Parts: sequence; C-alpha cells; structure tokens
Amino acid sequence: MKYELVAGFETHIELATKTKIFCSCTTEFGGDPNTHCCPVCIGLPGTLPKLNRKVVDYAIMAGLATNCEIARVSKMDRKNYCYPDLPKAYQISQFDKPLCEHGYVELSTGKKIRLARIHIEEDAGKLIHKKGDTYVDYNRGGVPLIEIVSEPDIRSIDEAKEYVEKLQQVMRYIGISDCKMQEGSMRCDVNISVRPVGSDTFGTRTEIKNMNSITNIAKAMEYEFERQCDLLESGGKVIQETLRYDDATGETSSMRGKEDAHDYRYFRDPDLVTILLTDEEIEAVKNSLPELPTEKAKRYVEEFAITDKDAQNLTKYRRISEYFDKASEGLKNPKTVANFMIGQIFSRLATEADKEIFDIKTTPEQLRELVKLIEDGKIKNNLAKTTLDKMLESGKGAMDFISEDDMGGVDEGALTEFCKAAIEANPNAVADYKGGKEKALMALLGNVMKQSRGKADAAQVTAKLKELIG
Amino acid sequence: MAKISQLHKLLTEKEISSRELTEKYIEAIERDNKELGAYVHLSFDEALSAADAVDAKIASGEEIHPLAGIPMTLKDNMSTKGIETTCCSKILSGYKPIYDATVWTSLKEKGAVLLGKTNMDEFAMGSSCETSCYGAAKNPRNTKFVAGGSSGGGASAVGGNLAVYALGSDTGGSIRQPASFCGIVGLKPTYGAVSRFGLVAYASSLDQIGPMTTSVEDAALVFDNIAGFDKMDSTSNPDFKADTFKNLNNDISGKTIGVAKEYLEGLRPEVLKATEEALRTFESLGAKIVYFDMPALKFALPVYYILACAEASSNLGRYDGIRYGYKAEVYESVHDMVCKTRSEGFGDEVKRRILLGTYVLSAGYYDAYYKKAQNLRGAIVAAFNKAFECCDVMLAPVAPHTAFELGKAISDPIETYQSDICTVPVNIAGLPAISLPCGVAEDGMPIGMQLIGNKFTESTILNFAYKFEQATNLMKSADWGVKL
Amino acid sequence: MITKEDIENIALLSKLFVPEEELDALREDMQGIIDFADTINNADIEGVEFDNIAGLSNQFREDVVVESLSVEEILKNAPDQAQDHFLVRKRA
Repeated sequence: MKYELVAGFETHIELATKTKIFCSCTTEFGGDPNTHCCPVCIGLPGTLPKLNRKVVDYAIMAGLATNCEIARVSKMDRKNYCYPDLPKAYQISQFDKPLCEHGYVELSTGKKIRLARIHIEEDAGKLIHKKGDTYVDYNRGGVPLIEIVSEPDIRSIDEAKEYVEKLQQVMRYIGISDCKMQEGSMRCDVNISVRPVGSDTFGTRTEIKNMNSITNIAKAMEYEFERQCDLLESGGKVIQETLRYDDATGETSSMRGKEDAHDYRYFRDPDLVTILLTDEEIEAVKNSLPELPTEKAKRYVEEFAITDKDAQNLTKYRRISEYFDKASEGLKNPKTVANFMIGQIFSRLATEADKEIFDIKTTPEQLRELVKLIEDGKIKNNLAKTTLDKMLESGKGAMDFISEDDMGGVDEGALTEFCKAAIEANPNAVADYKGGKEKALMALLGNVMKQSRGKADAAQVTAKLKELIG
Repeated sequence: MAKISQLHKLLTEKEISSRELTEKYIEAIERDNKELGAYVHLSFDEALSAADAVDAKIASGEEIHPLAGIPMTLKDNMSTKGIETTCCSKILSGYKPIYDATVWTSLKEKGAVLLGKTNMDEFAMGSSCETSCYGAAKNPRNTKFVAGGSSGGGASAVGGNLAVYALGSDTGGSIRQPASFCGIVGLKPTYGAVSRFGLVAYASSLDQIGPMTTSVEDAALVFDNIAGFDKMDSTSNPDFKADTFKNLNNDISGKTIGVAKEYLEGLRPEVLKATEEALRTFESLGAKIVYFDMPALKFALPVYYILACAEASSNLGRYDGIRYGYKAEVYESVHDMVCKTRSEGFGDEVKRRILLGTYVLSAGYYDAYYKKAQNLRGAIVAAFNKAFECCDVMLAPVAPHTAFELGKAISDPIETYQSDICTVPVNIAGLPAISLPCGVAEDGMPIGMQLIGNKFTESTILNFAYKFEQATNLMKSADWGVKL
Repeated sequence: MITKEDIENIALLSKLFVPEEELDALREDMQGIIDFADTINNADIEGVEFDNIAGLSNQFREDVVVESLSVEEILKNAPDQAQDHFLVRKRA
C-alpha cells in the first residue's frame, strides 16, 4: 500500500527581549551557570511573576506576521509538572486563551499551513547529566518563548522544511528572535502519522523531539515515516508516544518512563492578571511591522520586473532586503542594483550565515551612487563592475576610483580608432564573424572596451564594428 | 498593653531607649516562650542592632517614624533575608532566604525591630497552630488552650506581650480566628491592599498579610504602613492608598450594619449571645441593623477548600529538595529523591490538601470541582456586592466557638474544616475584615466578632471597630511577657 | 467513589509516596473530603463567571535588565551543589 505523511509542528521560539518573561534577569545566551538568576526565576518561596510587556508585543507581532487573529482578552495559566529544570514545578503558559489563533504560513506553492495558535510561556532551565548525576543551571529558566502550533497540514518532508524555514525567516524579519536552532532559540517538535493515500482519517501519531537542525528534522521525519509505514505493512500498530531523535544513529526512540504520568492540571495562574488588548494597540503593533518577505518578493517582481528567483534571494534575509531597498531608493531601475547584489556582492558571501549577516564594506548609499552614474549615462556597465569590486575591497566610494576623464565617454573619432585597431589585431575573429559566427564580435568588443577603459558604449561599439567590417 | 503611639512617645521623649525596650522583650521571650511556643526563630542580634540604629537617630535629634524602634514579629511564612523562614514545615528546615518580603522591607526601612518569626500551622494549613512542626503555640489566656491558627504564634506573642504587634497572613481566617481566640485585634485587608511578594504562598488568590495588635488604633497604624502598591506583585492594587489611622473615631450614627442570617447558624450559644450584644452596642452608638439572607454562603466552605487546595497543590510543588530546604538522605533516583523529600518533609494535613488539590484539578474532575467552585466564587462575590448595597459594614462572628483545648481538635478533617465557616467567605470575596474581642466565654476564653467591609474600605471597618472598642472594655492583658 | 488506584495516581502526580498500609485509611479520609467538596454540585444557586480576585488587568513590567544575584547567593540554600550548579547525585 502507498502511504501518505501527515505532520504538524509545535515550534518553540525564544524571544529576543532583554529580560526574562517574569523577572528582570538578562536573557543573554551563555554566561556562567546560575549567574542570570534571581529569587523569582529560581522559584524561591514567596516570589511572584510580573509579566514583561515586550513579550506580549513580540507575540502579537509573531501573530500578525503569520495572519493570526489577536485575542482582545487573554490570561496566563499554570501547567503543572514536576521536573528538576522547572523551579516552580509548574510552567507559566497559556491554555485556553492564547494571544494568537487561526493563522497560516504560506508556502512557495501557495499552500497554506494553518496555525492553530501562538501562545507565550517561560522556558525551563538546563539539566546536565554526568555519570548519572544531575546538574541544574537555571540561566535559561524564565526566558520568554512563544509556542507556535500548526495544524497537521504538512504532507511531505519538503513542505516541512519549507514551513520551518518560512517561520524562521519571518520571525527573524520582524526581529523577535534569532531563531538559532543550534543554540536552542528555535526548537521544533513534530507530530507525525501516516495513512493510506486517499484516506481522509488520521492515523495514530507520534511526537518527535530533540532535533537541532532542519537537516535533522528531515532525517528524523524520513526515519519515522518509514518506521510507521513498515509497522503498518507488517500488521503492527503505531503507539502514541513521544520519541527522541538521536543524531548519531539517525533513529528515533521512546522518551518517557512510567514515572512521568502526565496530567498537567492546567488552571489560571492566580498570581497574574488579565491581559486586555485594544484594537488601537494591536493596530499600532501592526504598523510597526516591517514589510514581510513574501509581500516584499511579490512587490519586487511586480514593480521592478525582477525575476521570481532573484526576488526570493533578495528577500531571504532582512538585512539584504533592507540593503536593496535603501540602495534602490530614487533609482529608475532597481533591477541594476539587484543584478550587482546577486552577482558581484553575493559571490563574496560564501555561506548562508554570511548572507544573513550581510557584512560588506560598501554602504547602500555608495552602491546607489554608482548605479546612478550608470543611469545618468556617465559611466558604462563594465566600468561600474570593476569599480564595484574596488569599492567592496576598500569601502571607498565610486568617485575614489572614477576620474572626470572616465566619465567623459568616448567621442566618435576615438571610437572609430579603437574599432579599427581591434579589427586589425584580431583577423581571426573578423574572419569568423564574416563566416557567420555572430559571437565572434564579442572578442572585438572586449578589445575596444579595454582600449577605452570601459568608457565606450557597448551598443555604439557593436554598431561601429559591424559598419567597419561591412 | 501599651499602644504603639504611647511607646513612640516614650522613645521620642527618651523615657526609654529602643534598646531597653527591645531587651525587655528579649528577656520576656527567653522566659516565657518555652511555655507559649509563640516564636520558632529568634533574631535578637538583628533586633538589637535595629534598636541601636533607632536610638542613634533619636540621640541625633532626627525625627523617627511612628513604628521605629518598636519590637515586633513576623509570621514564619514571610521571607526575611538571612533569617530562617520555614512555614513551620520540616521541608523548609534551615532555609534562610536571600531576599526580603516587601512588607518586611517597608517596615525595616521604617526602623521596625524584628524579634523573630512566629509559629503557625504548617504552610498555614490549619486552625489551631497544631500542625506546626515545632509544636503548637499556646493561648496566653490559658496555656491549656490553643492559640488558634494558622497565625497562632503571632496571636500568642501579641496576646502574651512578647511583641508589640505581629504580621500574620489570612487565607481562610488565619489572622482573625487566632486573634479572636487570644483576645486581640486582627485585620485581614482587602485582597491586593498589601503586597504578597515574599509571602510563601498557600493559596495565592486568597492569601493576604495583615496586622495583629492589641488595639484598633495599632491595627490602623500598622496597616497604613504595610499597605500600598508593589510593582513586584501583579495583584497589588496600583490605586489604593491606605489612610486609616487619621480616620478613626468618625461618628457612625445613622450608618447601617448588615447581618447575614447564615452567619448566625450553628453557633455556640455564648458566641451568639456575644454577637447579639455587640449589635446592641452598635445600636447604642446610633447604627442601624439590617438582616438579610445570603444563600451563597452555604457553599463557601467547600468552595474555599477546593480552591485553596487546588492552588496549594500547585504552589507546594516546588519543594523538591533541589534548591533549598530539606532533602531526603537516602534515594535511588531523582524522582525517588523528590518523592521521598516531599513524603518525609510535609506533614499529614499538608499532604491531604495537596492530594485533594491535585484531585480537583486532574483530568475528568476539573469541571465538576475546580470550575464549579470558581463559578460559585463568582456567586459569593456577587452576593457580597449586593449586601453592601444596603449596608456600610457587615457584622459576623469569627468562629462558631471559642478556643478549644490543645489536642482536642477533632480528628475528623471535615469537622475541623467546619470551624472556618465564618471566616472563609471574606477571603473568597477578597474583602477586608477586622476581628476584635466582643465578649468572654464561661471558661474565660475570649469571644471575637468580625466587621466586614466592601473592597478597600479598611478605613470604614477600622472606624466601626474603634468606636466599639471605645464603647466597651474587653481588651485584657494576659499574665505573660512584658509589663509596661 | 474514589478508588485506591485514584489515590495512587494523584499521589504520583503530587510526587508523594503513600505506603501500602496507609492507602485504605487515606482513601477513606479522601472520600470524606471529596463528598464534602461534592456538596457544591448540589448548589441551588446560579454560578457567576469569575475573572480574577484582584479585579485587575495589564500589570506589566518594562523590559529593563536588573543585575542578577551572584551564583553564591543563588546556591546558598542548595542542599547539594557542585561546579556552580544545583546537584542531585545519582543516589544517596
């Protein structure tokens, strides 16, 4: 039988606030153990939580960026379970009144992965197991999280990967999280089930935790999909359970012992009061959001006639798109800027991480100045290209490399001289051209450009060459 | 039984120094506490240095705060930096907090002299102070009798002249009932009037800190100095400003006292009689009495126990032997360690309430118990709102009976819970109530009554109480402690 | 009716051990308390939606860092510790 994958995600994202969700300790990553702690975040008897306003704002931003409805009335609840990394033996979270509900993330195919909800909650501390001993560090305890819960709308590993990438991209764009899976600031749990193709009922699902990269998510899902298919094929049954993905073996294994009988006994946290949001407040957050990547890419294609692929590349990271927006300001043809960025600038950025950081010496204003020179007909493309290289090396402006003389262009007489010289120097190319090889003209063109130090206009040169060769 | 204002005068007029005053109390505690069991942790060194600081101020001619240099005590569930805070539970044995409760910070800043921490039922769960892991506090009127609970230590200390005043906490009557058993004044403020930051939680939506004193005037003075907004407590009211002391002794003639008939059911005859006499006294002061029914009160007790235990089961989850307090010595795994620590560290009553709380919140029972109780809580709140449309304050007994003998607390938990019937409605509705003496039973034990106000009307109930106190003469000094 | 299994389950959730020999007595105790709690289900009065007892909303804190305590302070009351961590040894 042929089986279909059905998956949904629960994604935890650490918010980039300065302080924890319920106390004023720093959220900075790392730090010596138990140095980012206070009586509140280690749950000393008598301490009380006080909600960080920024956490609410960031969650609203996340909700608006993923097309959610924002709750006008919300509250905090306690999720009770006892574990050494949870200092109060309950996690303050949201149960039946999350801040955001009913959103979606749109994939490149146009398919919408629906989001059931986004809620705010506190992170737990970190446990280190050494030789059976348990060491506890509460630095991460109380760091604010949003949990984004999708509907089981994902049907393939590719969709899963794109969903996670899209979330990552959007959250980074709006600046509420760095979403670093390796550092744990983005963590995904996947619910997976399988069903015969064509069926519209859901199979029994398992939940996989502990995947620290998109690659691992894909691998774990592949493994689990195969495992469940094999199980059903051989007449077995999938047991609903939580699984851990082991990076080393590439396999999933059951996580919980029987001592963790789970019944979270949610109830409203009596230490915290109601969260009320007005339409005006939500509107204000909406207005503070930057243009989101999907909209932005659409706009680039429509307004600037940039190809879809280039638009995707320019919007993948916020810094790149901001750079592009700034560099194109007031220009007639932003596409020229796009070409320089995707061509010359990207070629200097070896990895995705480099692209994300987008740390280059040339400012968008400098790039704009250079492109403006082309648009005004003062310099030609070739000169601009070589100049940009020099600019990127040095951080200097275009005018540091271009003289008045360069901008003068080439007069008719000089152009004719250059062309004659080129024809004389390349008899083979001339012969080829005459024999019908249109392309042979390029060699001659290159020669002329070299002589004119890039100042000549390619179209003019081509016309002149053709005229001279006859 | 000198009032705080009188002691303040003695201090500022240099009739006595704060050190001398403090030493008198220390001496009395060393002598009498063995019998009374009021204190469980002593902080004499800290007390003397605080007293010296106040004396230095007086010597330099600086003005001192009305509470400066006055020896007092805190219930053992208020966090005091460097001073043991155990909630009278083995599970917190040895715990010395690294931060101060907000109430203690504000009193300390004003020059208060902390003699030590007072006895209580373990985690404030009880009505006789007998569930304390240190043994019960005793009633200064007769040490064969319980001091009441849970703030029994504070009532015993104040009633036994081992402190000028105490701070207690009241979740279901824990300030008012021991105050009435020991014949002193106890004020349970409006929920949100006094910061809970640093009060070790029993039931967060019911807990409130308040003063226990030997006069209404003192209760007003202390209340004014601990009440107010605290940014550390989200449930603390940002708009409330306590100004009760100045407003005592206003005329109450023409004002209305409401009596809900449900409060008068099932009382010992002498308690009923004293309550009725109190009403006559108020009539003689010009107040009108109105009687009405509040059927919702019939469910106050089970609602209270469901909500309090549910919150407690969650609040007490954190005692796991990892960060502070007691830890089991022998165990096989982390899980085993946590279970053993809790099983060995908590007393029976605490365990019972944790189990009940876990039960009412657990899957399949939440709607029938917790949610239903919340809705009835809403009904009780509404009933009080309606009651206060037709009266200025309500009058009720504090308990159906007076202090009972030690060890006589009925072993059946339900019957024990019944004795909280008069006090819990106020906590459920988040209202202020003051308990003060209104008579004496045949066995010589004090009878108390409570005046209940609408939210944030502490000023009104204190004024009524003050008028009553002036009209009667029921505050009696016990034969213990400091004689001034 | 509350069963012994119920008691065992809520004890596990509460992280409490109940010795086998105390189970019966505890079950009876709990049954009594639950019967008492059950009286609310016979309430002849209308329930009213309840929000929060403080009657407050939107009590927030600004996102401004306050210096944390030292690790020594944080670990001051720890029953066991090592290498600046709270510690639970494998067995004791």
